[in-house]
Amino acid sequence: MTAKLDPLIHPITRLSICGLLAAGADWVEFAALRDAAGISDSVLSKQSRVLEDAGYVEVRKGAVGRRPRTWFRLTAQGRQAVEGHLAWLAQLEEAVSASAQDVQQARPLPGDRDQPRRVLPPLLGSS
Amino acid sequence: MRDVARDPEPLERLRVQRSRLADRMRPPWWYLSGAAILWALTFAFPFTSRYLPEGLGLWPFLVAGLAVACVLQWGLTRTTGIWVGIPDLTCQPGRPARIAMLVVSVAAIVTENLLIDRGLLGAAIGVAAVAVVAGVAGVQAALRGIRQNLRADGRAA
Repeated sequence: MTAKLDPLIHPITRLSICGLLAAGADWVEFAALRDAAGISDSVLSKQSRVLEDAGYVEVRKGAVGRRPRTWFRLTAQGRQAVEGHLAWLAQLEEAVSASAQDVQQARPLPGDRDQPRRVLPPLLGSS
Repeated sequence: MRDVARDPEPLERLRVQRSRLADRMRPPWWYLSGAAILWALTFAFPFTSRYLPEGLGLWPFLVAGLAVACVLQWGLTRTTGIWVGIPDLTCQPGRPARIAMLVVSVAAIVTENLLIDRGLLGAAIGVAAVAVVAGVAGVQAALRGIRQNLRADGRAA
């Protein structure tokens, strides 16, 4: 699996939906997904449609009595994309925390004025 | 729409959401009661095979057991809103618990048969009762494994 940014999963709502579907369950029902993600019905409907159109999510509609029930699951393509995106996010998080640690270490301490100036590490992406 | 680049901790947020999803996978009381009935049917097998009238075969018990298992699984899926597939021994989450349940079942049935053959009916009933309790504990452990897997982003799957 290659760590890769996926622009389709990048928005936070779609990341939540895909991340929850990739958690290990085979199928997740609409209400369970909505409650776990903490989003509204309309947002879930809209974003799941986008993911379905992209071929990342499979949707199965059914009914229990008169109540309609919608189930979601990730497709193989969707799972691959989510895993790559989560790996990319984990790398980004690591890089950010490492950079923050370096900046913390390079900051002069009180009474450190007479010491030679420490050189700050170059920021990510700057030349 | 909000973007993860402006969100400080998208992965932390996802961990919380997954934890919320995993919490839904707690078995209701009727699920554990049903599991106890299912185990009781299983461990009654050595008795039924000896003491039931000749005409009454084992098939009604097998069909009843299968029906109870299907209803329980359907009910759990409907209540939790999560379908994790039909659990078998190759399925990683809760696998140790399922293997333990299989070993306990075989051991209990063999022991019950031995005790019944020696005329120790009371002891055999005791073994069956302990095995039912162990079976229900195994079901709970298997579900705990599934919950842990949901929290740990399905890495074990």
